Amino acid sequence: MTNLEKYNSVFITTFEIDGNALGEDLVYQSIPQWDSVGHMALMAGLEETFDIMMDTDDIIDFSGYEKGKEILVKYDVMI
Amino acid sequence: MLSGKTAVITGCLQGIGRATLDLFAEKGANVFACCQTSSADFVQHLEELSRKYNVKIIPVYFDLLDEAAIKQGVKEIQQAKMHVDVLVNIAGTNIDALFHMVTMEQLRKTFEINFFSQILFTQYITRLMLKQGKGSVINVSSISALDGNIGQLAYSASKGAIISATKTMAQELGPKGIRVNAIAPGVIQTTMTANLPAEAMHRLLSRSDINRVGLPIEVANLIAYLASDMSNFVTGQVIRIDGGIG
Repeated sequence: MTNLEKYNSVFITTFEIDGNALGEDLVYQSIPQWDSVGHMALMAGLEETFDIMMDTDDIIDFSGYEKGKEILVKYDVMI
Repeated sequence: MLSGKTAVITGCLQGIGRATLDLFAEKGANVFACCQTSSADFVQHLEELSRKYNVKIIPVYFDLLDEAAIKQGVKEIQQAKMHVDVLVNIAGTNIDALFHMVTMEQLRKTFEINFFSQILFTQYITRLMLKQGKGSVINVSSISALDGNIGQLAYSASKGAIISATKTMAQELGPKGIRVNAIAPGVIQTTMTANLPAEAMHRLLSRSDINRVGLPIEVANLIAYLASDMSNFVTGQVIRIDGGIG
């Protein structure tokens, strides 16, 4: 499984959404599931999937699906 | 009581931390034993605990003044791939200085160790707990945070901050299955209180109904209760364990 597939899988599983929903329009609070609780579940899922520990600043900056890809580069996860 | 649980305990080298580590192992918990430095005696003790009680005791070393080291410690815990059920924040420091004599540097260092680092560490560890939707955090504060204590402005203020944080964390994390409580020990037989001037010790003990110094194991017993499922309906509390002071 590629990193992109893993990344997508975390979003799909956490938010129980269809793969078609993934994209630049998917941002924090753009869907009911991505609230503050969903956000921490997403972070936990990404940390577990990629075996990383994200800084609090990055968790706050993680504002959307596309932005998340940029942030993960800091942790040597290339999407 | 704690069989099958995994706990992260800071300040395990001595005092209340060491007593808590020992009790948790005895009660069947696996423990990530966190402390600043290692020693041959400590490592041997961990091995003995592990053998005696058939539990995993994993040492994790980091300095609470070093943010990168804290993060590295958390990564070690994360990489062990064990569910974390309990966090006990015990590590702390104390600088005795009267209000007009305490320097800003002393104040900042005390808050760095007793508050900021503990919040950071708790943020990381509770993120691990969120995955399982269950957990218990126990913050060790002090009666000086509740009552004040002459010569302990920095210490009591930092421990007071932990109490405020405990209450907010309890409200935010409660719906996610994580309980957060604080305990406020009185005069306990540790190296920290060994240096108390005789006059201060007498003043404190004279206010105690039980009229003696508490033992680390007595505090550990309360921590074990808060860590266990016996306290499943307890959160956001500050529990005094002080022999009746105040």
